[in-house]
Amino acid sequence: MSKSDENKPISAKKFMKEFRRYQKGSVTRRHFLGVTGLGTAMAVMGAAMPSLWPGKAQAFGELGNRLVFSTWPNYHNQKNLDEFTEMTGVNIQVNAFGSNEEMLAKLQAGGTGWDVFVPTNYTISNYVELDLIQALDLSKLPNYDAAANNPKFAGPATVNGKVYCVPKNWGTTGFVVNTKKIKSGPKSWKDFFDVTMGAGSGHTILHDYQLTTIGGALCALGYSFNSIDAKELGEAEALLIKSKPHLFAITSDYQPGMRSGDAWMSICWNGDGTQLNNDLPEMEYVIATDGGEIWTDFYAIPKDAPHLEAAYAFINFMQDPYVQAREASVHGYAPADSRAIALQPDSLGADPILHPAANLMNGLEFGAAQTLTDPIRAELMARFKSA
Amino acid sequence: MTMRGVSKSNSWLTAVLLAPTTLWFLFMLILPLIVILVFSFGERAAVGGYGGGFTFEHYLNLPARLKAFQNTMTFAPVGTLLCLLVAYPLAYYLALKVDSRYKLLLLVLVIVPFWTSLLIRTYAWIFILGGRGIPSLLELIGFEGVRLINTPGAVLVGIVYGYLPLMVFPIFVSLEKLDKTLLEASNDLGGSPYKTFMQITLPLSMPGMATGCMLVFILLMGEFLIPAFLGGGKVFFIGNALVDLFLQSRNWPFGSAVSITLVMIMLVTVSFYMRMTLRSKTGRDESLM
Repeated sequence: MSKSDENKPISAKKFMKEFRRYQKGSVTRRHFLGVTGLGTAMAVMGAAMPSLWPGKAQAFGELGNRLVFSTWPNYHNQKNLDEFTEMTGVNIQVNAFGSNEEMLAKLQAGGTGWDVFVPTNYTISNYVELDLIQALDLSKLPNYDAAANNPKFAGPATVNGKVYCVPKNWGTTGFVVNTKKIKSGPKSWKDFFDVTMGAGSGHTILHDYQLTTIGGALCALGYSFNSIDAKELGEAEALLIKSKPHLFAITSDYQPGMRSGDAWMSICWNGDGTQLNNDLPEMEYVIATDGGEIWTDFYAIPKDAPHLEAAYAFINFMQDPYVQAREASVHGYAPADSRAIALQPDSLGADPILHPAANLMNGLEFGAAQTLTDPIRAELMARFKSA
Repeated sequence: MTMRGVSKSNSWLTAVLLAPTTLWFLFMLILPLIVILVFSFGERAAVGGYGGGFTFEHYLNLPARLKAFQNTMTFAPVGTLLCLLVAYPLAYYLALKVDSRYKLLLLVLVIVPFWTSLLIRTYAWIFILGGRGIPSLLELIGFEGVRLINTPGAVLVGIVYGYLPLMVFPIFVSLEKLDKTLLEASNDLGGSPYKTFMQITLPLSMPGMATGCMLVFILLMGEFLIPAFLGGGKVFFIGNALVDLFLQSRNWPFGSAVSITLVMIMLVTVSFYMRMTLRSKTGRDESLM
């Protein structure tokens, strides 16, 4: 497959057009299956495809016209969102967040009005415990194929035998370096903080996110990314506060700073690394040798979601392998769904940022549930920022 | 009897008319303040939020946010002063110098930016002050490596930009209604333009300046957006600390304690300020007599 996503077997738009013609009876089933490639794609799509859309019986009109969706920055293909709106008449209001803690805070306070949001693996069990998300009715998500999802990434979705969310993407947290500005080639979190306080002083961005910022500092000191040990956290705080005068910014929206050349190094999620690298080859994404994070993001529905049917329709749409592949072509994060991976251009499948070599990932840890609610980490981050 | 009847129905009417305001005041201001006050003595629940109990620990922990308080207490007055210095000439020009044909147009131009969200306008400044903005222009004329974004200066620029209309309008109004014959009289009596300005225009525009300063100062005390965007999280106001405590670390009791402290500081500063401006006003009235 070539670089343009229009050249994929069929664009979702064209698919819908054909599907509507088929629905109206303008074309035969055989024509529909032929032109959409469904006939041949059955092996990939499995039995899921015919029920891709909830079916003729259910008009899209029942979905309402609004969906409130809370997600992360630079994390979607606008085409997909537009297409969902065009198809269903449901307008999507997107909110971007910089940390899971911020999402939790909003949900805890209540009355968010969110229909779908994108939490990370380590938060799911907390959300279930706090009764903030609902178990999913998988019969409403025919596009979701549990068997196609790598259990390593999909695992946290199941709590006490119930499925609470479905995987969106997985990735790693490392850092990005502008190699034109920083020539020493930092490879570890220790290097990262050394360069920050040395040659790269004034040009580093740390996330406004306790998990990755404190985690990075902990790794630099040789501790676990997930530590909640008071002594280890104390050392991490000292390192962070020592580095603060040398920072360019503390923000999870780090692409503008990196792109403008003001920042030379930033904690970075791998897909953002790809996005930066695609436009500016000097941007190098590094998985640190002394640890870091591996994660999965999920689609979940808050307990009090006001537009429940639209939420299911949206998640179902986003689980479609083509839609997933098109998402990845823009944001650069790997799907956990093998059907979507199969649809990706070979160049992406072999991309070292998307699919790092296994040995590089050995040192990475999934975020631990207790880091989300740990009061010491929460207050440490707040103190560091106000220091 | 009739008189009493009238006054009775009058007071009844008054009560009815005042009811919405009173209810609003009670439920939207007093009650939330009481909730915050109660929370500020409580404990953080295990997963965040309010967990009941009674403790002074959060008030004792206030020094942990000293830097944020200091920043706000520095940037709020400095920002207000800068706003005043920028706004006064503009308001003066609009009120006294500009041809009345263009006055309305120019006034509208001052308001127009207000129609767009402050968030978007502030975000735009990130690109203007960022490396590809003004610094790249400075590079062309030989000043390399100038950093503007994420500095205290950038935050002040954002403040002046964002709050300017709030300062311009009160001053404009007080200059606009200034009795022009006083200026002529001063001129006739041989007063230099400087003296006329210092002794007539400036004192008579005091009320506008006082109102503008109050508006800007009070809002600045709670500001968090501009420092977050243009200070890169490095210039940290008490407003940012509050956002953090409620939206990230979910420490509602400590956040409440910080809020109550901020309200107290504002009450003291503002009442002191009002006393000062009132005194200067009465002082002037006496001297005029």
